[in-house]
Amino acid sequence: MKWTRYGEDGIRIVFGNAINADVHEKVRQYYFFLKSLDLREIIDIIPSFTTCIIYFNSRLTSFDALASFLREKEKELPAVQIPAPEMHAIPVMYGGQYGPDMEFVCSYAGLAADEVVEIHAGTIYTVFAIGFMPGFPYLGTLDRRLFVPRLETPRLKVNEGSVGIAQFQTGIYSFESPGGWRIIGKTDRRLFNYKEEPYSLMKIGDQVRFIPV
Amino acid sequence: MIEIINPAWMSIVVDGGRYGHADIGIPPSSALDMYAYAALCRLLGYSIGMPAIEVMGHDFSLKANIDISCAVTGARIAAFVDSAPVAPWTVFRIKAGSTFRAKEVTEGLRYYLGFSGIIDAERVAGSYTTNIECRFGGYSGRPFLKGDRIILRDVRDARERAVDGSLIPSMKAPHILKIIDGEERDRFSPETMRCLFEKDEDTWYKVSTKTNRTGIRLEGRPLEFRKEVEQSIISEGILPGVVQVPGDGQPIIVLCERTIGGYARIGHVARVDRDLLAHLKPLDKVRFQRVAAGEAERLWKEKIARYYDMLPE
Repeated sequence: MKWTRYGEDGIRIVFGNAINADVHEKVRQYYFFLKSLDLREIIDIIPSFTTCIIYFNSRLTSFDALASFLREKEKELPAVQIPAPEMHAIPVMYGGQYGPDMEFVCSYAGLAADEVVEIHAGTIYTVFAIGFMPGFPYLGTLDRRLFVPRLETPRLKVNEGSVGIAQFQTGIYSFESPGGWRIIGKTDRRLFNYKEEPYSLMKIGDQVRFIPV
Repeated sequence: MIEIINPAWMSIVVDGGRYGHADIGIPPSSALDMYAYAALCRLLGYSIGMPAIEVMGHDFSLKANIDISCAVTGARIAAFVDSAPVAPWTVFRIKAGSTFRAKEVTEGLRYYLGFSGIIDAERVAGSYTTNIECRFGGYSGRPFLKGDRIILRDVRDARERAVDGSLIPSMKAPHILKIIDGEERDRFSPETMRCLFEKDEDTWYKVSTKTNRTGIRLEGRPLEFRKEVEQSIISEGILPGVVQVPGDGQPIIVLCERTIGGYARIGHVARVDRDLLAHLKPLDKVRFQRVAAGEAERLWKEKIARYYDMLPE
């Protein structure tokens, strides 16, 4: 674990520098440890592939004070209760009007559309992070055969529910937004509902399986 | 009730921000000039958290159909109630049937408007602020349109008072932004790192017209990566003020609408200059000044003592 100050009022904890289940499990454990402390000095926690970012209230604490407090508390880390990951089955309509980049992916990967579907839906993915927008799951890791680059110029509008792939990852657009991932399908499942808790369908560490429909 | 006659370029409901849910991707979406927002709350006798209106652009106007007190802070504007001019950062009265109009913005970009009654707005995950992209919070999750009606709850009298002129910060361009070293600064060429902090006016950046609430895009000499370094990073959490550099070398200052990013971070805008980001407008000149985290912390404490703590009780 590597601790650094993140800007002025942040702490960055790095658990590794590769995207894999071991590193992510450490991120996840630390995230639930931080949550269990329920400190009012901590405003937000952002766990992702290899790091945990803490945003702290500089009126209530300082980098040094919070960092040393947490290092002291870490002894309790192994005893933290971690919620069991949930498995989400996500129905997806692949290709055609739902997957405007399917043709590109097929030609880039040298595969037929049904092979792309079979490979994409044939893996169980882990939710490595949720962000950049509410409820958007960063899922990994994708089968190497489907590695494609992002769009050079991002689309101004990607529809809500769009299932995209980019490099080693796949994800689902929880809202209509601009986006640069290659879109291969669409789901009707709602990923984020601001009207009731839990707002996000998924949390980090959950598992996702795509079901072609 | 209040009716929007002209929403200007964009006007939305904001507050102190939507915090505590960044782990599921919910961004703060807060008022961008938190000092001006805090001053507004103080002037009207509310605590931080009350909904207010953040306006961008000239010609914003509204009509009141009740007698009400109102206050404006943030960018300096030439404003009028009917034909009577309104002083900056003050509480003033609007009588039923009167019109408030912000004719011109003379310094800065965003200004904040509040009333002696609570704007009836949608509260989502603990905040009234508007998430424009996801269409929730604030006024039906969207910017105001002509003819929108705002309902005010718990209307009361507010004392007529003002924030002292010495407590109104300068928002004039050119802007000098203090930045703390970013995580990927070593991925940039030494020449680029030297130029970034040069005082020579030729190397200053210009705020792009493609700037919005998500980020401020800057245009100027492209920041160059060292040869053979990875330009993007494994996506991870970002905080407001991060200065990201995509492949084209044109820096983007992240504001309050994103929780995760994947571009190289050359720096973080120091907290002391974060309110100023609300006032960077297209074509403004910007330059950076390097500061250590400890020094930035000291400057921020100074700003709290010099400004925030001096606001009227």
